[in-house]
Amino acid sequence: MTEIALRSVNKHFGALHVINNVDLTVHDREFVVFLGQSGCGKTTTLRAIAGLETVDSGDILIGGEKVQDRRPEARDVAFVFQSFALYPHLTVYENMAFPLRAVGQRRDEVDRTVRRVADVLQIGNLLARRPSALSGGDLQRVAIGRALVRNPKAMLMDEPIGSLDAKLREEMRVELKRLHVEQGSTTIYVTHDQIEAMALADRIVVMHEGRLQQVGTPEQVYAEPANLFVAQFVGSPVMNVANVVIAEGQARLAGAAQGFGFPSALLDQLPPNAPLTMGIRPEALDISLSAVPGAMALEAHLIEPLGSHDIVDMRVGDGVLRARTRSGLVPGPGTPIWLSADPARAHFFHIETGQSLGAHL
Amino acid sequence: MAHIELRGVSKSFGGAAALRNVSLDIADGQFFVLLGETGAGKTTTLRVIAGLEKPEAGQVLIDGQDVTRWGAAERDVALVLQHYSLYPRYTVRQNLEFPLRSPIRPTTEAEIAARIERVSNTLRITHLLDRKTDRLSGGEMQRVSIGRAIVRTPQVFLMDEPLSALDAKLREALRAELKDLQISLGQTFLFVTHDQVEAMSMGDRIGVLNRGSLVQVGTPHEIYRDPCNSFVARAVGAPAINLVPGRMAGGTATLGDGLALPHPGGAEADGRGLIFGVRPEDLQISAGSPAGARVNDVENHGVEKIVTMTAGAHRLRATVPVTLKLAVGDQVRFGWDAARVVLFDAASGRSLRHGG
Repeated sequence: MTEIALRSVNKHFGALHVINNVDLTVHDREFVVFLGQSGCGKTTTLRAIAGLETVDSGDILIGGEKVQDRRPEARDVAFVFQSFALYPHLTVYENMAFPLRAVGQRRDEVDRTVRRVADVLQIGNLLARRPSALSGGDLQRVAIGRALVRNPKAMLMDEPIGSLDAKLREEMRVELKRLHVEQGSTTIYVTHDQIEAMALADRIVVMHEGRLQQVGTPEQVYAEPANLFVAQFVGSPVMNVANVVIAEGQARLAGAAQGFGFPSALLDQLPPNAPLTMGIRPEALDISLSAVPGAMALEAHLIEPLGSHDIVDMRVGDGVLRARTRSGLVPGPGTPIWLSADPARAHFFHIETGQSLGAHL
Repeated sequence: MAHIELRGVSKSFGGAAALRNVSLDIADGQFFVLLGETGAGKTTTLRVIAGLEKPEAGQVLIDGQDVTRWGAAERDVALVLQHYSLYPRYTVRQNLEFPLRSPIRPTTEAEIAARIERVSNTLRITHLLDRKTDRLSGGEMQRVSIGRAIVRTPQVFLMDEPLSALDAKLREALRAELKDLQISLGQTFLFVTHDQVEAMSMGDRIGVLNRGSLVQVGTPHEIYRDPCNSFVARAVGAPAINLVPGRMAGGTATLGDGLALPHPGGAEADGRGLIFGVRPEDLQISAGSPAGARVNDVENHGVEKIVTMTAGAHRLRATVPVTLKLAVGDQVRFGWDAARVVLFDAASGRSLRHGG
């Protein structure tokens, strides 16, 4: 059982409150991803759990024991960095055996463990090679292997595949998840890449300015964002955001004479005649090439063909809305279109605080 | 206004060939994107056109005029780089004025003011004009860099990964802005990137480079749907296209281990080693489909799910609607959209439609 818990953890770098009163429990065998921009505190929090940073106040518990005053090696957690720290003069086998030899394990036990882990990572055929003869993906597998041989209580990973190219990242994502399922070690994974977070996490922890913004499954974070920051951080293209006023059965867009017609069951949950921020994802917008009652009559401004689908930009009032459509639906810029929004996937936020108003169908 | 042409351009650096016999035709007013990995030769191509590198063989023509031996300053091109090179102690306005105050091309004060106003309106940086550039965010700096390039209305814009140092959200916004800018200016743009999303979304045409050779030139649709070989097929699309070895006989594609799917094929496809190229969105998971697979992984991306499955000895990736309930270990049935499957020759990797 390895549960990791943070209780009211705070840390400052000078005047900067880099970890701001963080409370979080990562359950045994769970895969949790810390997601945020650079400088949001995600790496500092991870390093504090590993023991590579001290905290100003609060408790860090691993397996129920307070460890904030213990040295890193006494915490029994494994750490994998973005840059692969392997010994260049040792073979893959020797690199992986190193942490076991360092604690004086018997030769046959070392051999058994290294081969078992190499098997899991599918690097059994590389054991005799030196790091210089490996590709980026293989190097990272070896680095992960070296962390795994010790059978640590928890795995902490800091952007471990951030330096790999896009296609390799896609493959490594699946590998990392398979590995986690097989090994079952409690894992905390840090990234700024929302695609990685969505793909890997049991739960995502979205961080911003040292605070937890939302903790939830990928589905929750995507479909029920707690605030505007989360809404716009997760998803690509980003969620459309526009200031609206609720009046006459519509969410009317700022600077435009038109708006989205929504059922009263939704609009009645919102304050009338007051400015709000509305959010709607590109796939929740529907484009028709023929007139639809209640839809906004607009013109396509730009079309981005992405192969599997298109993104269509439209200018409305003060801003731009982007819709995801099937490939080739809108033939070109200037095409007249009718735009409607799925009321079940509309989000409303407080115009100043950005907090979700919780209105939904 | 400029039509750019490269004829048989080759260039090497210390014995390593950077460009191999590259011929390229960029029509006036076109947004042309060169797509390739690090070391593919994209930046070298751009620098050859800018006049910053001299090719060992071949010619560079701008509007039909051979400019191969001309210096960079004589070519009237503007260059925007990944790392903005602005003067830090100057204001945004001073940075924008700088290219107009060049002694080679004298401009009147009234003309300078008018141009800066127009450019800063286009790029929405009017409110920043009196700010020092070291007080700007990354996205603002990149907009000012672009502003400095367009203020002088050169014949050609050359852009070397101008968006790659920015964060994802900003990149998305600037992608649309740049495309918009190009449409309103009507100038020729050559844009270099390793990011297939940028290439697909912005380019009127895309040129795919691999190790110094131009592999294919086409519209985003052509590159995505009708790649000339398996390299180009893998260069665009995320998740990447599935490439599955197999054979074809009598209207059935056999992918080994008893895995068979219907395909109209054609006489030239029968009885030879093939690679079937299947985009993840062209695989459909539904009961009653012709083939079986086991689900290895499900990624929920909110907008769609990416499913990795094992069928026989093959690993396939499919994108499916988020509403489809799937779990690791499930046995599923799947089929494909046969009309969209691209056939490649197993030995050469060339598409059969492109003479493979």
